[in-house]
Amino acid sequence: MSGWVLKGLKTGIRTTPYPKVEEHAPGVSPGRPEGGVPAGDKKPADFACPVDAITVRDDRVSVDYNKCIHCARCLPPAGAILVKPAGGYEWAYKIQRDAVDPGGVEKTCRRSLHIRVVDGGACNACLSEVSQITKPYYDIHRLGFFITPAPRAADLLLLAGPVTEHMKLPLKKAFEAMPGPKVVMAVGTCALSGGIFGPGFASGGGVAGFLPVDIAVPGCPPPPLAIIHGLLLAAGRKDPDPTTSPGPGCRRDAQ
Amino acid sequence: MMEISLLLELFLLSCAAGIVLAIAIPERNAPSIFAWTASISSAIILIAGGIGLFTDQPFQAELWRISSLGTMGIGMDRLCSLFVFMAGLVFLPVSVFSARYMQRYSGRYSLRSFSIFYHLLFASVVLLLIAADALSFLLAWEVMSILCYLLINYEHEKQENTRSGLLMLVMGEAGFLAVVFGFLLLTGPSGGLDFTSLRLNAGSIGGVTRWLIFLLTFFGFGIKAGIIPVNTWLPKAYKAAPGNIAAILSGVTLNLAVYGIIRINADILPALDVGPGIVVLITGSLSALIGILYATTEDDMQQMLAHSSIENAGIIIAGLGAGMVFAATQHPVLAGIAFIASLYHMINHSMFKTLLFLGSSGIELKTGSRDMNGLGGLIRFMPWTGSFFLIGALSIAALPPFNGFVSEWLTLQTMLQSASLQSIPVKITFALSGAALALTAGLAVTCFVKAFAMSFLGMGRSKASRRAVELPWSMRSAMGFLAFLCIVFGIFPTYIIPVLDRTVTPIVHESAADALVPPFFTVGRGNEKFSRAFVSDFHDLGAQVGRDVLPGRGLVVLHRGGKRNPVVFAMSTSYTFIVLLLLLGATLVMLRIVVRRRKVRYQPAWDGGLRRLPSHMTYTATGFSNPVRVIFSAVFHPTVTKETKEAVAEHFRTAITKERREVHITERLILQPVVSMLRTVSGRIAKIHSGSVNTYAMYVIITLILLLMGGQFF
Amino acid sequence: MASAGRVSESGAFMMPIGPVFSGSAESAHFLLETVGEDIIRMIPRFFYKYRGVEKTAEGLPADRALLLAERFSGTSAFAHSLAFCHAVEEIWGIEAPRRAVVLRVILAELERFRHHVAAMEGICNSTGLVVAASQAGILEEDILRLSCKFAGHRYLFGLNIPGGLQRDFSDTECMELGRGIQEIFVKLQDLEKRLRYSSSFLDRLEEVGTVSLEDAVDYGLVGPVARASGISGDLRTCLSYGDYGSFEFSVPVEREGDGYARLRILFQEAKQSNSIISQAVSSIPVGGILQPPPPGAKPSGAALGWAEAPLGAAFHWVRLKENGRVARYRLTTPSFTNWHGFHLSTEGFAFQDFPIILATFGLSNAECDR
Repeated sequence: MSGWVLKGLKTGIRTTPYPKVEEHAPGVSPGRPEGGVPAGDKKPADFACPVDAITVRDDRVSVDYNKCIHCARCLPPAGAILVKPAGGYEWAYKIQRDAVDPGGVEKTCRRSLHIRVVDGGACNACLSEVSQITKPYYDIHRLGFFITPAPRAADLLLLAGPVTEHMKLPLKKAFEAMPGPKVVMAVGTCALSGGIFGPGFASGGGVAGFLPVDIAVPGCPPPPLAIIHGLLLAAGRKDPDPTTSPGPGCRRDAQ
Repeated sequence: MMEISLLLELFLLSCAAGIVLAIAIPERNAPSIFAWTASISSAIILIAGGIGLFTDQPFQAELWRISSLGTMGIGMDRLCSLFVFMAGLVFLPVSVFSARYMQRYSGRYSLRSFSIFYHLLFASVVLLLIAADALSFLLAWEVMSILCYLLINYEHEKQENTRSGLLMLVMGEAGFLAVVFGFLLLTGPSGGLDFTSLRLNAGSIGGVTRWLIFLLTFFGFGIKAGIIPVNTWLPKAYKAAPGNIAAILSGVTLNLAVYGIIRINADILPALDVGPGIVVLITGSLSALIGILYATTEDDMQQMLAHSSIENAGIIIAGLGAGMVFAATQHPVLAGIAFIASLYHMINHSMFKTLLFLGSSGIELKTGSRDMNGLGGLIRFMPWTGSFFLIGALSIAALPPFNGFVSEWLTLQTMLQSASLQSIPVKITFALSGAALALTAGLAVTCFVKAFAMSFLGMGRSKASRRAVELPWSMRSAMGFLAFLCIVFGIFPTYIIPVLDRTVTPIVHESAADALVPPFFTVGRGNEKFSRAFVSDFHDLGAQVGRDVLPGRGLVVLHRGGKRNPVVFAMSTSYTFIVLLLLLGATLVMLRIVVRRRKVRYQPAWDGGLRRLPSHMTYTATGFSNPVRVIFSAVFHPTVTKETKEAVAEHFRTAITKERREVHITERLILQPVVSMLRTVSGRIAKIHSGSVNTYAMYVIITLILLLMGGQFF
Repeated sequence: MASAGRVSESGAFMMPIGPVFSGSAESAHFLLETVGEDIIRMIPRFFYKYRGVEKTAEGLPADRALLLAERFSGTSAFAHSLAFCHAVEEIWGIEAPRRAVVLRVILAELERFRHHVAAMEGICNSTGLVVAASQAGILEEDILRLSCKFAGHRYLFGLNIPGGLQRDFSDTECMELGRGIQEIFVKLQDLEKRLRYSSSFLDRLEEVGTVSLEDAVDYGLVGPVARASGISGDLRTCLSYGDYGSFEFSVPVEREGDGYARLRILFQEAKQSNSIISQAVSSIPVGGILQPPPPGAKPSGAALGWAEAPLGAAFHWVRLKENGRVARYRLTTPSFTNWHGFHLSTEGFAFQDFPIILATFGLSNAECDR
């Protein structure tokens, strides 16, 4: 068994230094299409995004990241109306709500946050990214974040997936079983707008109408660094970008 | 102060009144009348026993003289009085309880005959205890045995009850015969059967006869106590009996067996070497261990309590064995301590076991079921019963500050005193027995956590458990009385021990009270064994708190050692109780202060997000004790007889069932081999039954010839 | 006859697990009938994640329905999109160009490699061997980053389209991918060697969760689970598609059917994937990467497309109307098939073995529930 100890020591530290330092390794984020002046020579008005995430106004294109599913059909060579810069992973944003206890979780859970992950019907990509945050490259334990098996001990409810009909009751019970102060973080495009599946007869249009969402992390799936960014926002350790959180159900644009 | 003889006459009168009234009064009033007469009888006998415990002159009365057999009489020395007192103490709440309990049998079985048998049993028990000669003793014993059988077999329409009753009767009679032979061997050339002549004759009995008497009486009486290997009747009989009779059986008749063993093996014929004591010790420890193992894995509540009675009988008898060894090796004080511990456990057992049996009968009355797998959540419907049952369970699990803790702690401490013995094999035996008793204590906690939690806490697992209601006041007060006694006997051990010491002193010929309860309160009154220096050492530890307020010697149980080891063992449940109360109170106050500032929201327990958690998704009693069954599977030796897998269309499983069979370890290892050996031997002997008349004629002729030839030589 | 949700043995009870349980496990409900230590019977209840993929696909154009096929199970996205593309290509009568076919093989094997490493991480985690789990976790993230660098998405979304691929890859990129995978494979071999000598780890896998060959055949199990029990079926060889015929690889088979056999299958299949990738990247044919569908009215009809997903055989049956929209879409996923036989492996084992058996099967509820 000592072989394992030596192997672990020999492997050294692989953990990303984020959030102290920006992470630049290739492949940490798939990037997402950027709005603005369209690139290429295709007319944007003729382009039909499969999930209606793109709107065109006065020849400027804006992308609703709550709906974008990274199908890459708007990017070269398929669509070529937009450009996708690589990297970039701070995708999370806060939804300000009046009725919430101001600074509840941020005040009490700044140094340590306990997370209860609930799978509301997610395809495994979002869940796989969520499980990456406990693995050596990202390791949220060094930031004081822990995943708990019971909602009784949790401060944050992390939800992935369009909320399917069947999972509505367990999700509600999990939310009610959490003691206050608590926040809800919706991870992935499906949780914010239903994604490719909903709203339909078996799945909802995301969790926003069902539970009060505080932090949203769009992406399909959002890379682990984006999820960590969302957790840091929830714990009040990163300030939300003032240009990106205008209100509930917001559209995150890049003008 | 009333005279004991007057009280005994009153007692017999009230029993007779009970019988007469039972016959005269119509059936439907029988239970309440019977409860009144039985309670009055119990109260009378309680007072009689109490007086006998405290007077200095033992009561004696001659009944008649038979020329060849000696003086027949009755007498109540301190030992008798203790048992008589305990009999009254058990019969009283059981009688009160039975008033409403017996109504479940009205219309099905005769309540009159129950009442008659009950009073006769009570009378025979008392007569047995106060008998001062072998003949009265044996007569009363036989009557008591038969009445026990009649009462166990009360629900005689169920076939398994008749079989269990019959088994009990047969084994009881075998034990009785053994005891009779024992007494016969004890009788001297003068032929006197009274206990005094037997005691005088005991000095002249030789070695082999002593062993024979010991074995015959120990195992003969031991059948009633339920020690291995003669305990196979006990679980079955207790299961068959009505609940209140099971309470009497374990609270009274078990004590009678202990009385018999003490009377013969410690009083009349004390052992001269360590052999008998070691046998008793080993038998006791093994009984305790096997009893609790089977109790932990049993799901029928009454049968579980029966196995637990075997366990407690084992602890009592182990204590007796230790006492006999110390007495034989000239350590009278240690012997006294051992006997005190054993008797203390006996009286505690009567109290908490009766309480538990009454609780289980109450549950059976209101839910119709004794199976712990089907109970659950009863505390919402039966809070009082649950609380009293909890006190009984805490006592039997030997948790401080209840009474079970004191007696079991003292028993384990006497096992440790074997350090002062010389012989190494004896010390090893003591150590192993102590280890077995400690394991028993641990398993007892498991067993009674299961008993209380599976019946009262959690969710009701069957319809029966959901329609329970609280017991009527008479039944609750009977249980409450016993629960109160459990607490009192637990937190005031220093008042009980001197009383027990006076009971034991005639047997070991030296008082052990000073060795157990130092007089911290009364030190100024000239007790030269305890110097002021010793007492002042303990003053700082608080041993004299309450000196001016409370009577008695002190509140600390403490055994002194030599210079190097001034205190061998010490404890005080009295002070522990006070400290516990203070801690609990302080915690509750702090909680109220802290919680007041926060908002409290009540939510159901987290169950994984299910729509509803049905009761079959909660732990069952079998599941709770399964680890014990698995770990000790060498003892239980379960065999799977049949495994069936039901499926739809051959592949979709709907059910998997296994039929398991378990044979009790004593039956498997001792009785079944003996039975099969007897069968083979008698099978071989049966070959002489050839069926041919000629052969039989030849047998007659051969026998005749042999006798004629044999007659020549004698 | 006892119904499925009731206990059949006296004194037994049902231990409920889920639907919300463990750390980041998928939602499913398990009922374990037990007498305290052993599992007598296990009853799984799924479809908590039912999103109605088949019904939602009706009326959608084929390339939009492809997005559904790709994303209903994110960890085997490429394989399912491949099967869908096969079906649509058959209906439309088009064939993907050879370059696209070989690139598809590379991407499919990349996905299989990543999926198997993630499954190994799950097994090491479930037995509590944390250092091995961390090592496997590092390798998994390495593969994810490699995939992202190569294909633009960590889970290979947005690549397949009926008729070929949406984007092209340069040969240098492919060679780099081959080298990267080979490096990771060398580390994986070291991990396998160390695991082989961890006796406490093997203790929890050997003879635990056994599925006999007979049961596997009766219940029609597929994928690495079936291969661990002795069934050698693999769609890449039985119903060969793509260009698998021209590559040299073997399909590993084990006999014991226990957890350790399934782990060994994972390692061996990873080795085969690595071998296929290195064969493929060195000989990608030149040419186009997309054969566009026929212009105008597209042929209607129905066809069955299949692919060997990392978890086993996936079948997509599609019926298209003339306007190219889906009339009916039917999925048979390997997880759906294998969950039927899962209860066999848990009967008679203890509670503590249940998460380990669950991890060695490595099945996906999203794939099963669609």
